[in-house]
Amino acid sequence: MAAIWPPVATFIVVAAVGESVVRVWGIAPYLLPAPSGVVRAMVANWRELLGSMGTTAVAALVGFVMAVAAGIVVAVGLSTSRLIQRAFYPYTVFFQTVPVVAVAPLLVIWFGAGVQSVTICAFIVSVFPVIANTLTGLLSTDPALRDMFRLYGASYGATLWKLKLPSALPNIVTGMRIAAGLAVIGTIVGEFVAAVLQGNPGLGVMVMEARRLGRTDLVFAAIFAASMLGLAMFGLVNMAGYLLLRRWHASER
Amino acid sequence: MVLMVLMCGVMGCGREPAAGVPDADGVTKVKVTLNWVPEPEFGGIYAAQQSGKFAAEKLDVQIMPGGAGAPTWQMVAAGQAEFGIASGDEVVIARSRGADVVALFATYQTCPQAIMVHQERGMKQLADVFAGGGTLALEKGLGYTRYLEKKYGFGSVKLVPYDGGITAFLADANYSQQCFVTSEPLAARRQGAKVRVFLVADSGYNPYTAVLIARGEYVRKNRPVVRAMVRGLRAGWAAYLADPAPANQAMAQLNRTMENATIMQTFAEAAEAQRTLVAPAGARSEDLGKMTLTRWKELAGQMLELGVIEKAVAAEACFEGNL
Repeated sequence: MAAIWPPVATFIVVAAVGESVVRVWGIAPYLLPAPSGVVRAMVANWRELLGSMGTTAVAALVGFVMAVAAGIVVAVGLSTSRLIQRAFYPYTVFFQTVPVVAVAPLLVIWFGAGVQSVTICAFIVSVFPVIANTLTGLLSTDPALRDMFRLYGASYGATLWKLKLPSALPNIVTGMRIAAGLAVIGTIVGEFVAAVLQGNPGLGVMVMEARRLGRTDLVFAAIFAASMLGLAMFGLVNMAGYLLLRRWHASER
Repeated sequence: MVLMVLMCGVMGCGREPAAGVPDADGVTKVKVTLNWVPEPEFGGIYAAQQSGKFAAEKLDVQIMPGGAGAPTWQMVAAGQAEFGIASGDEVVIARSRGADVVALFATYQTCPQAIMVHQERGMKQLADVFAGGGTLALEKGLGYTRYLEKKYGFGSVKLVPYDGGITAFLADANYSQQCFVTSEPLAARRQGAKVRVFLVADSGYNPYTAVLIARGEYVRKNRPVVRAMVRGLRAGWAAYLADPAPANQAMAQLNRTMENATIMQTFAEAAEAQRTLVAPAGARSEDLGKMTLTRWKELAGQMLELGVIEKAVAAEACFEGNL
């Protein structure tokens, strides 16, 4: 319980400073809304916010899971030989550098607007950290242990499953932590151009609509909801990491 | 520290104090921020600059092109530019949010906002678009979107965000999208598509569009400058209507978003397509840009009814009729 106080205190201080800055300097709410105004917007639109958050959460989670699965598979593939690594690793960087805003309209044309295109945006931005971190983990297995596996004539599959992947686990979890936040960003950017606007169209659509209406308070409310979502996903990854690593790895003891 | 810098940006401190008011030679430097890339929608502004109409009014106008979603009314309200271009409904939205922004000159008397569909679908009127299925790309949140939704309902179409391009339209025979009659339909026809265009204004929602705006306080304190700006712009539009080619040339140089080989022809077609929207039949050049209280009342009333704004906005305050 004691762990909860420092971040809560930070939050209260930041909100108080924001509130007084906006009030003392008389900043117009359409330029920068006071935290109290954002809270009011959240209360007044909670139903819409929750619905949109759910839509965004589903797309972000699916994109994230796809990114983790594909990222680990690709990293395992890359780790099999130096040659393969040299030939393909530079191209995985593509996923990190590709401007998803530019690609999203093309995804709409190829796959149609809707959750599929939005999910692909989330996937694109979150897959690289998983690949990079998993690969680092796979390549930094303790050489002594690797020699021992070889000495006992362990197969490639056994070495991978029983040695390399378990020892890469902390790196994989680190990659997942980075990917979790990025998946939310990718989803929201994807929704800017690739969502279907009816029903609960997601936080990205909400941000755009509120911006057009000059509702800066609602823009901030939606952004806050998005960061809550990112935080929740980060928390899930941390919990998974703890459960997987607590019994043997120093980082979680 | 970061906060201070941010605040300065938001509040506009540290600006040159000389901007927006006459200097020693009586010349006034002003900025106009556009809500799109240079194209015939802004023909009068570029014509006024190019043919010396602004200079004749002792104005040194810096034109700042924008892009999709450029927040022009916020920039004008925050003092980052003396003038800006926004749509009539944005003026009403701005005022309902407490920003003292007023309209000075309305380029389009008839709103060029339209829905374009593939001709092959055989649609006869706007209502058919919403009954015919397929995909429709719109900017959600704007007044005309809500108006269409209320009037026709979006029951059978799949609504997607409008991305500013026409690629998806060209690729899908059942794709319709919002457009300016002066822009996307011409581009789509050039790519070989057969296009049918329905003006939203014809269905009863017709805000003044491509409106010159300024801060109310600026207008009150600098009446002569504002008057000069409007006179210059009106003269610019008269010049553009008489011969759009020189200004089109200037805008083509600045517009990097369109095909070089055909841009001049596209601009010439656009200038022709918008002619009656800018100058309705019988309009004299001194009528260009003029606005009426009736139209602003109608717009403010519609927007309140549609729930785009939450509380009534005084139509009298939306525009400056006596310049």
